[in-house]
Amino acid sequence: MRRIVHMTQKEFRQVFRDKPMVAIIFAVPIVQLFILAFAITTEVKHTKLMVVDYDRSTVSKDLVLAFVHTDRFDLAGHTTDLREVREGMRGWEVQMGLVIPAGFGADLVRGLKPQVQVVSDGVDGNSSGIATGYAHGILAGFGADYAAVQDSGAPPAGLSSVRMEERMWYNPDLSSQQFMVPGIVVVLLTILPMMLSAMSLVKEKEIGTMEQLSVTPLRKHQLLAGKLIPFLFLSYVELAIVTTVAVLIFRIPMNGSYMLLALLALLYLFATLGLGIFISTITRSQQQAMFVAWFFMVFMIMMSGFFIPIENMPPVLQKLTHLNTMRYFMSIIRDIFQKGSSLPFLLRDVVPLAAFGLTIFSVSVLAFRKRVG
Amino acid sequence: MHETSVTTRELTRRFGRFVAVDRVSIEVGSGEIFGFLGANGAGKTTLIRVLCGLLKPTTGEATVAGYDVYTQSERIKQNIGYMSQRFSLYEDLTVAENIEFYGGIYGLARTKLRQKEKEILKNFGLHRHADSLTAGLPFGFKQRLALGCAMLHEPPILFLDEPTSGVDPRARREFWDTIHETAGRGTTVLVTTHFMEEAEYCNRVLIMHVGRIIALDTPDALKSRFEKRTMQEVFLELVGKEIGETRTRGQHGEQGEKP
Amino acid sequence: MERRAGEDDRLYRNAGRKENVRTSRSRILSIAHKEFFHILRDFRTLIIVFLMPVVQLIMFGYALNLEIQRVDAAVIDFSRSTASRDLVERFEGSRFFRPFYFEGGVSQVGDLFKSRAARVALIIPSDFERQLLHASPVSLQVLIDASDSNAATLIRNYCNQVLVDYNASRGAQLPVPFDVRTAVLFNPNLKSSYFFVPGVIAMILVMISALLTSIAIAREKETGTMEQMLVSPVLPHEIILGKVLPYIALAFADAAVILFVGLLVFRVPFVGSAVLLVLLTTLYIITALSLGLMISTRVRTQQVAMMLALTVTLLPTILLSGLVFPIASMPAALQYVTYLVPARYYLLIVRGILLKGSLLGQLAAPALSLVAMSLVLLVVSVRRFSMNLER
Repeated sequence: MRRIVHMTQKEFRQVFRDKPMVAIIFAVPIVQLFILAFAITTEVKHTKLMVVDYDRSTVSKDLVLAFVHTDRFDLAGHTTDLREVREGMRGWEVQMGLVIPAGFGADLVRGLKPQVQVVSDGVDGNSSGIATGYAHGILAGFGADYAAVQDSGAPPAGLSSVRMEERMWYNPDLSSQQFMVPGIVVVLLTILPMMLSAMSLVKEKEIGTMEQLSVTPLRKHQLLAGKLIPFLFLSYVELAIVTTVAVLIFRIPMNGSYMLLALLALLYLFATLGLGIFISTITRSQQQAMFVAWFFMVFMIMMSGFFIPIENMPPVLQKLTHLNTMRYFMSIIRDIFQKGSSLPFLLRDVVPLAAFGLTIFSVSVLAFRKRVG
Repeated sequence: MHETSVTTRELTRRFGRFVAVDRVSIEVGSGEIFGFLGANGAGKTTLIRVLCGLLKPTTGEATVAGYDVYTQSERIKQNIGYMSQRFSLYEDLTVAENIEFYGGIYGLARTKLRQKEKEILKNFGLHRHADSLTAGLPFGFKQRLALGCAMLHEPPILFLDEPTSGVDPRARREFWDTIHETAGRGTTVLVTTHFMEEAEYCNRVLIMHVGRIIALDTPDALKSRFEKRTMQEVFLELVGKEIGETRTRGQHGEQGEKP
Repeated sequence: MERRAGEDDRLYRNAGRKENVRTSRSRILSIAHKEFFHILRDFRTLIIVFLMPVVQLIMFGYALNLEIQRVDAAVIDFSRSTASRDLVERFEGSRFFRPFYFEGGVSQVGDLFKSRAARVALIIPSDFERQLLHASPVSLQVLIDASDSNAATLIRNYCNQVLVDYNASRGAQLPVPFDVRTAVLFNPNLKSSYFFVPGVIAMILVMISALLTSIAIAREKETGTMEQMLVSPVLPHEIILGKVLPYIALAFADAAVILFVGLLVFRVPFVGSAVLLVLLTTLYIITALSLGLMISTRVRTQQVAMMLALTVTLLPTILLSGLVFPIASMPAALQYVTYLVPARYYLLIVRGILLKGSLLGQLAAPALSLVAMSLVLLVVSVRRFSMNLER
């Protein structure tokens, strides 16, 4: 026990002596939280719209206004040449074209169903799909308004329509930050324990102190405990800081129990620290450790449902996500924050997280033992 | 304690097909200063690493402080101090912190640790540097600190792997004085070196070449046997002969007449 | 005599200059040679450098699909009538919902959401059929689990669409008085791989050029081998050139592998000019290398170099360049930051050339931005580098 204390003390001394490291541990996560919270958005706004108005009637001008009045579309220019839309897209000045045919207004009056064309730049498939959806929505709204004005608003007699009355639970303002920020907490809570613990273990190999420790009576579990306890502690400090920023500055409502969050975070930290140890056993230099850790990170983030919904992945990839511990903690933290879920509701994620966390941890510890001996 | 501190019989260590230590049998008595001599790659460091429990032997037997290297390596670690040829203390800790850390690892009681810390700082002339970062120390001081840390727990056996490489002659002299003092108190010292004049300071010297023992005796006996004035000349004579033999064997081998 | 001596001097100097060029070249080459072996020996890093982009391609190419699939919808039907069953069938018939009848009350919807058994609940009032027959408007209560705001918006839109269709089919909705036709250019099937193959190229080029180089130089400083080189007659720019040349080669090789996989496996089109692509890619690599040099002049240890390089190169390249998330949707302050990210410009270039066949004239703005950036970075970092050396 005393050996672990000495190991821990030494580790803390080293961490706090390295000033850039202290900044990396405490300041960088907050900066990252801010950048991530604002940068990760799946909304599509300010699509650059070029109008090809062959009609130039009052109605066509109203239609264009209906587009430009929202923050979904910005007017990139008018033209009478369809080719300019294409060329504009090639120079990235235009993302969408709205083509209003000649005689549009007159045809509408005569009930001839003129054809409006929406031309979209499909390079960013997702944004393009979403922007096209918005365009259709605006067109449908405009059409309905026009029809209502023309027919003085009376629907066909004898029939009533079903109206939708929606309630948005947990997130009535549909703020994407409320969804993303708890997820970012998970990402930040992965970088520190996984990357830094792996690098700190590999550093001992690199500078030769690992060899020196191997000839002392210090046992492997004492070495690992002494190494990991500081990182566990620092991870909790980071969790506290980032959660505070999320709640106080980003105003993310916390509907669940902080205790439960802290408790389940321990399971996740076991898994990530285990991965850190594992990485240190398969690498020889800090540089390699960082790259392998980065590789793991990218894989884990993408397969966690952080910004790519898991349900949308092909079945094979969906199955693969079950191997990803981040996936479970991502759901857990979001549910605790937003829905205030209690433990029974979280069991479907907690059980695999615990199983994986402990397996990864014990396997890594065993693998580590072999490598040093 | 034990009459002999370190015993090996036919000890062999291979790395793949390469034989780093080839059937080495030695007996080192308590309080002896035992030198390992040899060119780079002769197998000295591998032999020491096997005896410290850093590497497992491939075949053969070895005991250190009466404990078997195969099964009792944890017991061995309590009884040895080790100083590697690379400086392997924490450069981002101060001198005092390094001593405290290693003392803690060896399980020294607090009062004992304080006393040892003072002793080391005084004996090794480090008291003025106690609170400076190890990274900033001159190399000679670093080596002294490393030796101090290896001896913190007063081990009966001390392994020193090229302890004086890169140290200036005066510091080297002082370093050897310390080693003699330590041995005088009954500590067994096993030391590798490639400085031939240092071999003169040892009680017995083992000369290795490509993993095998080619000579083992006191420096004086070796010098008189080969009728040389210095160990340097003894070494050159012995190793030169060996290389010659290896070559002729190689040529014979090519003709298909394997010895 | 005076003049002759001058001529001799000039001759001598000319010869010397030629000599200098030759030795300079050989010095650069020998440093490059050494660095190249460093890279090759470090096979773990090498594997990652080549494997990571391929894995990312697969993830981005196949997994990134923000359109949601069928959503579990709990139906609480208080009406239990033909009309309500008809409505539920409508939901079933759309490709957006997987409705199931839920026997519990409205108060249990929260539990449904928490256990993630449903993401939306449709509550049909008991007087649903009667109201419809009496021609008074009926409201369908739709409770949406909005914890994922993006999904919630889509679910609402899908619900709305089902109801609009339902009303229209019953003649209760006025038809839109015009048709809308949609044309999608450059990527008619809206494949995400078209978008991400160029993106991964931009990312890996930064990783090799900025991240690896800055670490390599920091390593050289840390191990003291930089000092070793300084006492040799090598000039600072020769050290820099020698160190970066192998990374340029590695960057091109990796980019080629990604492009190859993209073209072959994901069938990404290559519409534009290959020469222009190589030219502007070189420009981008130079910018990224300058960024790496800049970082390496500011740090002394590998660990700090890594962390700094990660924070100022890789993360912005992924987050703030338009690689995944559209810049136009970010807050204004963050949009200004994106102007400092080289990948922002290169993405326009590589996507433009590959997918749209953009010409140099159309890409002049991003190309000139890269030129300006690399000039500034190079001047500053070379000056700092030589200053560091003299210290």
